[in-house]
Amino acid sequence: MYDMKHLFIKFLAVVGLTFAITGCTKDFDEVNQNPNAPTAVNSSLLLPQIERDVINTVMGEAWGIGNIVIQHNAKNQFVNEDRYLWGEQNGIWNTVYDNMRDVNNIIAQSEANGENNYKGIALVLRCWMFSLATDAYGDVPYSDAIQAKEGENYPKYDAQEDIYNGILAELKVANDLLGSSSEVVAGDIIYGGDVAKWKRLANSLRVRSLMRISRKRDVGADLREILADAGKYPLFESNDDSGVYTFLTSSPDQFPLYAARIGSFNEFRAGKTLLDTLNSLDDARLPILFRPTPDTETSDTTDYVGIPNGMNDVNALEYNGGPQFQSRIGNVFYEESITPYGLTVAKGIIMTFAELQFLLAEAAEKGLISGDAETFYKNGVSASYNFYGLNVSDGFFNQPETEFTGTQQEKLNKIGLQKWISLYYNGLEAWFDWRRTGIPFLTPAVSNQNDDRIPVRFFYPLSEEKLNGDSNEDAIQRQGPNDINTKMWHLK
Amino acid sequence: MKAVYQTFKGTCCALALTLLSVVAVSAQTAFTPAANISPTSPPVELIKVTGKVIDAVSSEPLAGATITVIGQNRGTISSVDGSFVVEAAAGDVLNVSLIGFVSQSVTVTQNVAPLVIKLEEGEGLKEVVVTALGISREKKSLGYATQEVDGDDLNKARETNLVSTLAGKVAGVTIVNNPSGIGSSARVTIRGERSLNINRNQPLFVVDGVPISNDFRGNSGSSYQDTDYGNGAAVVNPDDVETITVLKGASAAALYGSRANNGVILITTKSGKNTKGLGLSFNSTVSFENVLRLPDYQNQYGQGLGGNFNFVDGNGGGTADGVDESWGPAFNGQLLDQFDSPTSNGLRGGDVGNLFTAIGPVDLDQQLAARGAIEATPWVSRPDNIKNFFETGLTQTYNVAAAGSNDKGDFRLSYTWLDQTGTVPNTDLKRNTLAFAGGLTLSPKLRVRTAINYINGKSDNRPNLSYGTENIMYLFNCWLGRSVDVSSMRDYWMEGREDLNQYGFNYNYHDNPYFNLYENTNGQTYNRIFGNVSATYDFTSKLSLMVRGGTDVNNEFRARRRAYSTQRFVRGSYREERINFTETNLDFLLNYRTALSERFDLNVGFGGNTMRQVGQFSDVIAPELAVPGIFALSNSRVALQNLTNTPYTEKRINSLYGTGQLGFNNYLYLDVSLRNDWSSTLPSDSRGYLYYAANLSFVLSDALQWDPNGAISFAKLRFGVAQVGNDTDPYQLETIYNAQTPVQGSPSYSESSVLVNPDLKPEISTSIETGFDVRFFQNRLGVDFAYYNTQSKNQILPISLTNASGYSARIINAGLIQNQGIEVTLNITPIRKQNFSWDVAVNFSRNRSEVKELFKDPVSGQEITSYLMASRYVLVEARIGEQMGDMYGIGYQRVSDDPESAYYDPTGQNVGQIVYNSQGKPIATPNTIKLGNYNPDYLMGINNNFRYKGLSLGFLFDFRVGGEVYSHTQTVGREGGQIKETLEGRANGYDLSVEGNGVTGEGVVQNADGTFSANNTELTAREWHTSYTLGRRLIEGVVYDASFVKLRELRLGYTLPNKLFGNSSLRDFTVSLVGRNLALWTDVPHIDPETSSTSGGTVIPGVESVALPSVRSWGVNVNFRF
Repeated sequence: MYDMKHLFIKFLAVVGLTFAITGCTKDFDEVNQNPNAPTAVNSSLLLPQIERDVINTVMGEAWGIGNIVIQHNAKNQFVNEDRYLWGEQNGIWNTVYDNMRDVNNIIAQSEANGENNYKGIALVLRCWMFSLATDAYGDVPYSDAIQAKEGENYPKYDAQEDIYNGILAELKVANDLLGSSSEVVAGDIIYGGDVAKWKRLANSLRVRSLMRISRKRDVGADLREILADAGKYPLFESNDDSGVYTFLTSSPDQFPLYAARIGSFNEFRAGKTLLDTLNSLDDARLPILFRPTPDTETSDTTDYVGIPNGMNDVNALEYNGGPQFQSRIGNVFYEESITPYGLTVAKGIIMTFAELQFLLAEAAEKGLISGDAETFYKNGVSASYNFYGLNVSDGFFNQPETEFTGTQQEKLNKIGLQKWISLYYNGLEAWFDWRRTGIPFLTPAVSNQNDDRIPVRFFYPLSEEKLNGDSNEDAIQRQGPNDINTKMWHLK
Repeated sequence: MKAVYQTFKGTCCALALTLLSVVAVSAQTAFTPAANISPTSPPVELIKVTGKVIDAVSSEPLAGATITVIGQNRGTISSVDGSFVVEAAAGDVLNVSLIGFVSQSVTVTQNVAPLVIKLEEGEGLKEVVVTALGISREKKSLGYATQEVDGDDLNKARETNLVSTLAGKVAGVTIVNNPSGIGSSARVTIRGERSLNINRNQPLFVVDGVPISNDFRGNSGSSYQDTDYGNGAAVVNPDDVETITVLKGASAAALYGSRANNGVILITTKSGKNTKGLGLSFNSTVSFENVLRLPDYQNQYGQGLGGNFNFVDGNGGGTADGVDESWGPAFNGQLLDQFDSPTSNGLRGGDVGNLFTAIGPVDLDQQLAARGAIEATPWVSRPDNIKNFFETGLTQTYNVAAAGSNDKGDFRLSYTWLDQTGTVPNTDLKRNTLAFAGGLTLSPKLRVRTAINYINGKSDNRPNLSYGTENIMYLFNCWLGRSVDVSSMRDYWMEGREDLNQYGFNYNYHDNPYFNLYENTNGQTYNRIFGNVSATYDFTSKLSLMVRGGTDVNNEFRARRRAYSTQRFVRGSYREERINFTETNLDFLLNYRTALSERFDLNVGFGGNTMRQVGQFSDVIAPELAVPGIFALSNSRVALQNLTNTPYTEKRINSLYGTGQLGFNNYLYLDVSLRNDWSSTLPSDSRGYLYYAANLSFVLSDALQWDPNGAISFAKLRFGVAQVGNDTDPYQLETIYNAQTPVQGSPSYSESSVLVNPDLKPEISTSIETGFDVRFFQNRLGVDFAYYNTQSKNQILPISLTNASGYSARIINAGLIQNQGIEVTLNITPIRKQNFSWDVAVNFSRNRSEVKELFKDPVSGQEITSYLMASRYVLVEARIGEQMGDMYGIGYQRVSDDPESAYYDPTGQNVGQIVYNSQGKPIATPNTIKLGNYNPDYLMGINNNFRYKGLSLGFLFDFRVGGEVYSHTQTVGREGGQIKETLEGRANGYDLSVEGNGVTGEGVVQNADGTFSANNTELTAREWHTSYTLGRRLIEGVVYDASFVKLRELRLGYTLPNKLFGNSSLRDFTVSLVGRNLALWTDVPHIDPETSSTSGGTVIPGVESVALPSVRSWGVNVNFRF
């Protein structure tokens, strides 16, 4: 009898264990709550990462491709990109779309909270980012983009024209929103939360976007609308208003190239096209953008030599007798980028006051707006000089290449040339704009691998073929082959 | 099969044929008893003992019984009529054993009469294997395939990583090692890959019934620091392993539940049970490792470009001296300034002072003046500069164990010391393992057991892997001038600038390899405990309850130091990673066993388990050091950065299960099991999932009462069907925002790019398996065959999305992957004589993993037809209708026979030719094409064991045939002019007008009218080789057939006769010469195709990313006991 009782108790224990096991799944929901990360954060915590990420990518792409293809810089080693042997260039694509999720999160959140300033800033960023994407690749996902949460896994690619229409409309909305609510914006590393300046950036970007598509439609009325009411549509009024990001002296907020290997920095050299131009104009910006040849750097008579773009490796390295006789890129973009002066020059650039002035000069010269083209032109050059802490001499404009004289085309060429110089280290924008204007005239790289054509776009990321194949294919059918020579809508 | 196999096949087929004919011949001679005993001079006192072995019950003669003279390495086998003859001395003990019978011992006396030995059928010597939950089962009753590896096969010819030792020994098991020289990770897959998530294809490791972690953790490549710290199961000590049982299929593993989806590797540790009284044993292996294979470097041209070089500052100040490639002058002994040439100031050419403004002022003119003028030295080839860099590794392991048992209980205590220095300089590993196992019978009804392993490991430095400045192979295979005498970089500080500036051959891009290994170390220490305690209570002889608790605790600390002047960390850095991982399992099993009738046996069980995993991680880096040479977080010059987003993870699974085995007449067995798991990682409404297994084993030979002495001694058929569910990682149900590196000191967050799914369902995989086990000629030939088919569906995986959708991936239930394959094991004993035997074991397996379905969006109806599993140089992609492991990439544009193609050739003459552009370079396909698959077509291991008296010889060949590997060594080795291929086109230098120089690609160009003509554009060698992959884009030319054969293991052992030791208690003294990975046959150039690459915690097979060379080892093993 005792044994049976004993057995029964043991059985009860087992049954108890069983219930314990099934029963204690009750706290499983709690166990599976992620304690490591919040499920919601406010806009001020989302903003910094977006701004830094996009700016760093734009600077990186400028360094690696933009400054090269636009012939500001040239390479003396590992010359593939300089010879237009381009593979995928996914930096812009990835950064734009990876960060757009948080841009949209800010928009949704600020709409819910009535935070118009945050929303306005997010819209400006959104427009700038989408313009980068479409200018780099052509047709890209836009209206369907960033909607996986809503079930859209395969966003269609929108036509570039539709994207630009959207950008222009949203910039206008952003202008209206900015300053219409009272919340203080935190986490903004571009303007430190200065909403008025964001408003200026919104409108300046609108000018850029209008000019970008000006081959396709008459943008005069829109431009005139902006310029007619500086109270409603404020623009940049000085370099202080420029959309730039100032890096810091120490990691992780340094100028991106500061940590590059010496060789990785020095395989980029002064481009002959830009260096010769600066030399011929006796341009005071030269010694900031470039260094004398290493051979003459410490001697009394410094010598500046740029190398032609796109030679093969052997010829590039041996050009002019070797690297000792080829000018390097300015120190302010490398080891001196953390000096007080370097911090004022080596900046992350969205858009500068100088660029706006050149855009307006072009618009005025073409009669799209009223105003004096020459004033805009000189303001642009002066702003560019000021950016480097220099003042342009009066004599600068007395040279045949800079004097604002000649036919309309000659004047446009002069505006374009100065704009090209002013866009130094803003290679992507320089390239985007050059594709439209063709100014200055650039000769394709010496030993290029692209049948003497300067590339006009990036390949779509290879992964798009895998991940969004049908949409990608539709875009290719509409736009043309997925290669670096296919003209996108606004260039056609 | 490729050429190597043809050559190799010669040997192997001959071997196989010999083997088969021996079997055939032996079969014909029906294994007459070994009457021709020992013709060699016998000791005087030997007497001839004759006898007969019969069944104690039926009195039938028993053939095939083994008669051994204990301690003498002598013995024989009973013949068909049960008779035997053996020579022994008076006082010797004969042991008579036969599978399925209780063995017997007889002491030989003077004038012994013919013996009649009656064997009783019994449990004792039945083939017993350990199955799921640690339950011992008679092998013949199992309805599924298992395979065992004896501990002795692991602890002689050994590897630091236990898992690596399994290669070639078990059919259906694929092991891929990630070479680093000191026990780095091994990736195991059993019966192919079931999961589309490349990280979730590894089996569960279970030690003494309790799971342990096999995580491959935290190997984040952040800031280029890709280091392999080993997989979790690597630390199990071979000396403490009794057996390893591989449960291959779901049928076998179902009782372990979801975690056993990919099979189980069941490790049983040694106990004192088999040691009567007290025994001491000692086992030691000392082995030497060296590099198995290095690339074939070219030795005709040194550093430089266009045939020119002269060193000034290694930074571009001289002639091509900033160039790190080998397109420089030919070696003619001419005098050139070099980095290691002496200078007029008694320094070296490379002692040029500081070049980093971050470290201090740079005044090159002044620095060069301080260095002095370089005195040029001869420009000569350095064919062994890399080979000599690698050292001879030394691995020592010493194990001492004490064990004992009596009727109250048993114990075993073992200590093992492992000390390894790698082939890569300044890499090492030390490991102390203390193992205790014990059992106590507390009362006739209550038994308790425990097994605990404590492991303390330490490495001062593990080498960096993967393509990047931190890996020395990045230099050696790609960017080290062939003229560079590596040994002259051994003094790696610049004269007078210790702790500040490294000295090297190139300051533009590279770190001195010695500096890299001696200053920039990746250290590791860990303390790990795993073990369990169990108690079993027998209520009655039929009913018992077992309760068990087990745990696996790992505390690991990793420190990565980077010194000043490191290319990627100019101001140095210091990173600390702490990993605390605990898994606890509590389980119970109630078991009831009874004979229902004379014919039916029943065994039912009911059990439960609760599992809890908790991980705590921290990963912090001091990005720059304030004071050089001080490696501490407190020495950070700037704000510390946190590198992990998951400091804490927790997961629980509760389970209940029931099992039942019904046996009929000892020849038909039916097993069924049911298990329900509840996982905390799944949504509450689909948290629990039920699955089942059913197996049938039918012992044909017993059922039909075949004569065990006939041609077929044993035959069994088995069939099994099983279903296993699976859960996922924690925290996959709710959207979170991850902290980012602060921006200008402000905190920063970003929404996770992985879109979670609150409606996840458990994964389900269903498998059937069938097979047979047939043994012929008294078990001298055994064939085990298995066929399986596994369908895995509802896989929980982050399916990649275009980031234009806003997310990089969404977690879904998707996919249907079918794995089917066959496994064959052959066990052959061609010769079994008293003094000589030859055993052969062959493992063969072939698996096909096919992607049947991926995902159809239930809302939009959109279908995903391909899934990107991993991307590193190649795209590993799963496409519907294709195989798992397929690798895609850009290929050569070829002339097509498709009229739609832009490269259509209506004449058909040029179809298939590579098309070149007007510049003489191949044209790339616009889209990626399939370039191969990293899974081999089949695997085979052939293990031979010879025994002659006390002498034994064993060797194991491991074959992997089929499959492809991408080689980054080939891609970049060409760019750098390092590998011998780059001599093509520069037979006589660089001048294209000289014959032998220049390369014209073989193929065609398309003319303006669409026709094709031969490509005749000649490129310089450098132009050709640097654009061989069009800037690492077109990879078709660098994907190779990865087939290989390795001489995996060789053992030559001698056991001293115990009588040598007289009355001392020393016994079984064995000395063995052991070797591993001694030879490699393959067509893949430069590299060992058995490789993988690591990338952010993922091991990607089929991709060689300038891997460290694998090693061959030679050693001596000594073991004996008291």
